[in-house]
Amino acid sequence: MSFLALILGLSTLAQEPLRLQSPMPEVPTILPRWLRNRGADALFYKAAPYNWAINRIPPFAKDMYATGVGHAMAYEALVTGKHQELESKTFATIDRVLRNPPSNPIDEAAVSPRFVQKYGYLEKVFDWAHTLHFQTIDVLMHPGWTDSQKEAEIDRLWKFYSSEPFAISGLPMNMEYLDSFPYSGSFRKNYPKVNGLFWGYHWLQTVNYDMLFRVPVADQKPQYSLVGQRYHETELYRTDRDFMPMTAEMSPRFARRFPQIANAFDNLHMLHDNVNDILAQQSLSDAAKQSQVKIAIYRVLASTHVGEEAGEGEPKTLHDHRFPNRMPGMGMMVGSDESIMYMSGMGWMDMSECAHCSIPLPDKGPWGATVSAEGWTMTVRCMMCARDMASETPGRAIIRAATEDENRLLVMISDEEGNWSSNINGIVFLEEFGEHPNCSMWSRVFTSKSAFDKFVATVPELKGSKPLSLDQWSKLNHGTPDTYRKVSRPNPYGNGIPPTLGGSK
Amino acid sequence: MRFKAFLSTLGIFCASVALGSDHNNLEKDRPLRFDDAYSTACRSFEFQAGFGLDTFHRSKPIYNFKFEIQYGFAKNKDISIGLDPYFTSESGKLVGNAIHLSYFEGVSREIGNNPAFGYRIDAGIPISGGDGAEFRVRGILTKTLVHYDKIHLNLDYLQTTSGTSSERKSRMGAIIGYSNPIGYPTRFDRTLLAEFGIEQGMTIGSGYNSWIGIGLRSQVSPTTVFDFGVLADISKASGELSSPLRISVGYSMNF
Repeated sequence: MSFLALILGLSTLAQEPLRLQSPMPEVPTILPRWLRNRGADALFYKAAPYNWAINRIPPFAKDMYATGVGHAMAYEALVTGKHQELESKTFATIDRVLRNPPSNPIDEAAVSPRFVQKYGYLEKVFDWAHTLHFQTIDVLMHPGWTDSQKEAEIDRLWKFYSSEPFAISGLPMNMEYLDSFPYSGSFRKNYPKVNGLFWGYHWLQTVNYDMLFRVPVADQKPQYSLVGQRYHETELYRTDRDFMPMTAEMSPRFARRFPQIANAFDNLHMLHDNVNDILAQQSLSDAAKQSQVKIAIYRVLASTHVGEEAGEGEPKTLHDHRFPNRMPGMGMMVGSDESIMYMSGMGWMDMSECAHCSIPLPDKGPWGATVSAEGWTMTVRCMMCARDMASETPGRAIIRAATEDENRLLVMISDEEGNWSSNINGIVFLEEFGEHPNCSMWSRVFTSKSAFDKFVATVPELKGSKPLSLDQWSKLNHGTPDTYRKVSRPNPYGNGIPPTLGGSK
Repeated sequence: MRFKAFLSTLGIFCASVALGSDHNNLEKDRPLRFDDAYSTACRSFEFQAGFGLDTFHRSKPIYNFKFEIQYGFAKNKDISIGLDPYFTSESGKLVGNAIHLSYFEGVSREIGNNPAFGYRIDAGIPISGGDGAEFRVRGILTKTLVHYDKIHLNLDYLQTTSGTSSERKSRMGAIIGYSNPIGYPTRFDRTLLAEFGIEQGMTIGSGYNSWIGIGLRSQVSPTTVFDFGVLADISKASGELSSPLRISVGYSMNF
């Protein structure tokens, strides 16, 4: 090797972030006994009046039902020796179903009989977690209950789910560790199109919770015209993601309220990725694949982490349950620490700060707003940040914002030209541009003029402020705040894919 | 017609389902007679309603109805209770003289090359004028055949508590069932069924009853399944009425 080549090689190594690499896992001394059960162990969902409320938005329901075929068809192809067809025939088959979704749920076991013959115990874990997925959606879409009733029921659903031995842990888990084994990443590398579909519908499965959470039932459907369009036109076919979509990234409000459920979904999706990688390993024998799948299940089961606490644990191990600031519903990612994390497509973020002005988000009071555009969702401090962040992003956007009434969430949807529609008639805005650290005080939205007057009367500095209509407010733009700071670090995934999308300036 | 003879002729003894309302989860009498080896899901209730029309060469048709409720009371185990009233145009009366109780256990799912195995114990108990109880033990094997299709072997042992000296107290029977989802991988809501069955006749030395059937189960909604089936006798034991055509229509709903 020449001196120049050596220097170049060292230089390359210096630029590439160090990724955790764990050895091939060994079977734990004690695996859960239920893994040896011979019964099918089919479980019914919690009987309740909200079941199948998802059908209130038929396109959404159909898209969710269609997700049942993806992994099942790919797993069936892998266990029947058809891995060569994954990127062609299997991709086309899955894609056809996703484009022409069924009207009813699909029995995944029926679509993948050979897979279930071999990995029936794994199907139990998947089925039970998918039941939680769907029932949580049903609760949020149920028209008969208040938000408080829904939240209480989702807490009960979590207990119901956790009562079974197949339950996945609700603790945040270190995703870098879970994705650090010799087989890790091979599926997404070798089968990028199929993996893109998987991560595409994981995007749908995680983005929908903020679309529904504390949103009046009547205001849920209009959002899906945008979300569904994005899903079908873009998210399903992306092959440039650094990592799978995470629930807390896609639905930050829901994940803060129900961190255990958000973590369980992420841990489930990570289990899917692990299984993809294991089954795609041509070098592993059938017996070795069985062992590795059982170990992968063991890693994420709630029973493996009994007595452990969120926020604690030895870094980058199986029992690392730390999480980034303000993100209890998300485990540590590659390169992240308590203060910052890397979001695929967005770059490095401090999730305790406003994504637009970098001022810390308030812990109490109105939480501000979220902006959803181009497939991402970010939390901001104030309405001005929400509007200006959305306007910096091409395409349609959704703003979900706190009003003075904690029981009335504002949902605004923009068209391609940036014209906003609102779910609340007669909303008025306050915007007295001032110092950004106080923006959550002088940039707000109210459900009525009287609510605006009442608030302004309590703040002497805002005396004389005039209410703005939606039309007046939407024409304003203050650009990028001078307080905004961008964290400049390389992509920790080392994929060389720049964050081309999103709100990073 | 005595209760047990009626049951044997119509083949509607103590039916139950093996799984919830899923077109892939096969249920006895919905619409054919065979079971698969899987129980209804734990904690699931399922209500089934069915209507059947039996035609005969030398007798007027019989219209039968079927109502049953099942409960998955534990993993891989369910119980059910049902009524099968029927109406004959000869008598002009609706008769419902038996209550059916059933217990099912799915012992093993399909693992590797080993078929799924389950068994069912049924009891037909006379009420309001019926006489003689009948019991059945059914062993069930379910195995994937080529890919999505499955074959189901049902072996029956029937025991009755009454009857004349010329009638059998115990009988044997067997059904080979076949199921195949229609439309994969573009449609996922229909399953085609077929069966061939044979069982000993009621009377000693009377020979065997055998039949064939074909049916369809179709998912109507996430919780409901519609089924339709046609059966025809191939051979009939001497002294028993032969039915050239039996039509069955049913509806299952779980909650």
